[in-house]
Amino acid sequence: MKKKVPVFLVLLLTAVLILTSCSSSTSGSDQNQPQQQAQQPPAQGSGPVDVSKSESSVVKLIEASNPANLPAAAKNRPDTLIVGTTAPSGKFNPIYADSVYDSYVTELVFDGLLMNDEKGNPTPNVAESWDISEDGKTYTFHLKKGIKFTSGQELTAKDVEFTYTAIADPNYDGPRMDSVMDLVGYDEYHNDKDGKVPKLEGIKVIDDYTISFTLKDVKASALISDFGYGIMSKDYYNFEKGNIQKLKDLFLKPMGSGAYVFKDYKAGQEIDFEANPNYWKGAPKIKNIVMKVTNADTVIQELTTGGVDVDIVAARPENIKMLQDAGFINIIHYPSNSYGYMGWNMRLDKFKDKRVRQALMYGLNRQGFIDAYYKGYGQVCNAPVSLVSWAYTDDINKYPYDPDKANQLLDEAGWVKGSDGFRYKDGEKFVIHWMTYTGSKYVDTLIPIVKDNWGKLGIEVVPELMEFSTLSTKVYDEQNFELYNMAWSLSIDPDPSGIFAISQDVKGGFNSVGWRNDESEKLIEQGLRETDQQKRKEIYQQWIKLANDDLPYLFLSYSDDAYGISSRVKGLKITPYEDWTYYIYQAELVNP
Amino acid sequence: MPGTITKRGEMMRQYITRRLIQMIPILIGISILLFFILQLAPGDIFSTMMNPHMTAEMKEELRHQLHLDQPAYIQYFYWVQGVLKGDFGDSFYFKQPVTRVINTYIWNSFLLSLVSFILSVIISIPIGVISATRQYSRFDYFFTVVALIGISIPSFYFGLLLIKWFSVDLKLFPVSGMMTPGVNFVGMEKAADILYHMALPCIVLTLSSVAGLMRYTRSSMLEVIRQDYIKTARAKGLRERVVIYKHALRNAMIPVITIFGMWLPGLFSGAIITESIFNWPGIGPIELLAVNNRDYPLLMGINLILALLTLLGNLIADITYALVDPRIRLK
Repeated sequence: MKKKVPVFLVLLLTAVLILTSCSSSTSGSDQNQPQQQAQQPPAQGSGPVDVSKSESSVVKLIEASNPANLPAAAKNRPDTLIVGTTAPSGKFNPIYADSVYDSYVTELVFDGLLMNDEKGNPTPNVAESWDISEDGKTYTFHLKKGIKFTSGQELTAKDVEFTYTAIADPNYDGPRMDSVMDLVGYDEYHNDKDGKVPKLEGIKVIDDYTISFTLKDVKASALISDFGYGIMSKDYYNFEKGNIQKLKDLFLKPMGSGAYVFKDYKAGQEIDFEANPNYWKGAPKIKNIVMKVTNADTVIQELTTGGVDVDIVAARPENIKMLQDAGFINIIHYPSNSYGYMGWNMRLDKFKDKRVRQALMYGLNRQGFIDAYYKGYGQVCNAPVSLVSWAYTDDINKYPYDPDKANQLLDEAGWVKGSDGFRYKDGEKFVIHWMTYTGSKYVDTLIPIVKDNWGKLGIEVVPELMEFSTLSTKVYDEQNFELYNMAWSLSIDPDPSGIFAISQDVKGGFNSVGWRNDESEKLIEQGLRETDQQKRKEIYQQWIKLANDDLPYLFLSYSDDAYGISSRVKGLKITPYEDWTYYIYQAELVNP
Repeated sequence: MPGTITKRGEMMRQYITRRLIQMIPILIGISILLFFILQLAPGDIFSTMMNPHMTAEMKEELRHQLHLDQPAYIQYFYWVQGVLKGDFGDSFYFKQPVTRVINTYIWNSFLLSLVSFILSVIISIPIGVISATRQYSRFDYFFTVVALIGISIPSFYFGLLLIKWFSVDLKLFPVSGMMTPGVNFVGMEKAADILYHMALPCIVLTLSSVAGLMRYTRSSMLEVIRQDYIKTARAKGLRERVVIYKHALRNAMIPVITIFGMWLPGLFSGAIITESIFNWPGIGPIELLAVNNRDYPLLMGINLILALLTLLGNLIADITYALVDPRIRLK
């Protein structure tokens, strides 16, 4: 399922490489919009929405003013849709794809047991329905009959079993381990290198169309997080336990039951697909799809010259303007499922005091920064949850820019202004060494604002710029930092344990700031074990309020994602939780 | 005298063999240095893997699979073990054999670099020669300025400018890529399609290399035409054309030709910025990606190839030098 993929990396890389290299690739949104969307009723089973008649309040549409202005280059390919993408790495396999770009390919070629709707709720796909046992640990899926792989073979429970068993293979080295490691019998199967354990106990094929998964413990996020991966054909991909290399040898020959058939891959250039006429949801209307490699520097030019029909662009006023001027491009933008933050090392005395953390939050003009950087396509972030999540709540402290309050809090915390204008406590000057990464406009805009704002509070800020991998090593692997900034791109499920659990406060773990809050730990655990979504929501909102008050991070920004879509493309649906691949089989090409 | 020729050929053969054998310890040395220098950079491929679904233990397990939990010298031995069997390992990032990854991209870089190299030679040598013969003329000043611009203009800026002019405004060339997407041309049509896509990146690369080569030719030529034998040739009453292009140019080219050998690795190393701007599927952006992801096997593979080509380039330069200048003796 979308963004279940370790998109986290991607976002960060986006932040570092693409986004920030000159033109950001994610950015802000309409200011009034999160409140509206939080109250919106779940759009159950919503079909594809024409971008020009989008019913979603999250997705904003800027309609093409002159659809007839379509360039000849685009008119000349009536059967072919070209979608721009960052170069994928060529791991075209549902259990190995580790970037959104590789996932686009697997989403076109494969179908998962479940999908998700606009609100992030699980929806039927290959599995028509599912039951959850009384104790909440066993999931039984009932597969739809008659789904065929493009090889002609029917997709049955044994293919599902094969796919999930492959992830548990002792030699599996992809990014999906977490989706099987809580299954009963995982350790026995995974740690057995000699092939003595032939089956994973927690996966049971009941009949051709029924399969059950039994977990060691209740995992509320399982349904949305673990059962969306494309199902691989056992006949086509089968390998002997341990010999997972065979799967990797087929990276460039993916075959599944999806809407499109993989035709050709030219590394660094394009991937070609052809419609699967026997697709079980109905034959796709667009005959050919080409994913063409584009880059953030020239994506606007690609779109306006008709070189590509659909591509993600940085939501910035200048880009939107250029696309609008072309006339034939519809633009959609929506808050992305991510946030930007600064992490402070709470193991250090100066950041241990909540008053200091709050003072820094009040003392930074975050709105000013957002206005300067996103120019209307971003908003201030106040809590570690995305604007589009069902767990989002607006009922939190907004920390408006208030230097007086910041000064007062710092005074209370014992940091007293010396004669030189800087604050001191026990003879120690308040200096913050801030590690950040090079080549980012985001960072370049942020540095002077932080230095100035906190300087006025009597705090000296020393930014240190470094290459991203170095930064991430210092922050996560060594935990050797005072303050850093990065961004998280989030999963659909709001469970924050991967980032904020105390167990993640180890070298290499993601609780790099060292937030050890018992209340938070309790709520995280409760949230993970509660399967009733309404109750879960309450738990997470409580947790969000806690994080908003205790401030494990200095929360910075929400940004918008934007897509340019040629007016020749009709019926394409893209939302924060639904990739363009989800309903592509219903989209069509027209001559406007 | 056939005997002399044989003797010379024999000497040459011995010389080349000796140089090739000498390369082996040099390459081993380079590989050791490279491996340890790469390890000096903080972090490994898992440091940038910001996936909260991947716990510290899972990362540890994956590190163990790739021997990244071992000290650098042990990792080096694992790597050497593979290389001796002809296996350069799997790229951490692509999860494919390093040789396959390199082979996928390097020829695209070579194609682009070779064409722009040939173009820059064709353009820069005549201009260099004319600038030298008409030193301080308007022609000379004009191309001196052009050369300065070519050397100073950043390629990402020039590339974007060309895209604006030729792709967006005039719609003459595609914005990026190497082939028209979705169309599978064959034969001459394919070649034409590639040339069409190559035009803009080629201009960027050519402009930057023309400048240097032109100045190099000019100064070498200036030195030669002040020599006594050129004066003698003129005094003999030879036509100026013959003096310049037959007597002077040949001698002036000796140092220029030898620098071609040095360009050999450059033909394969890929132009990171130009290739990125134009989405040319070359090895340049792949190298950058390998660095950012600490993909040691891939970095070792690429850099060793470049090291080998540098050594071969030096050898070729030495040999050409001896061939074009009989005064040079190979020992």
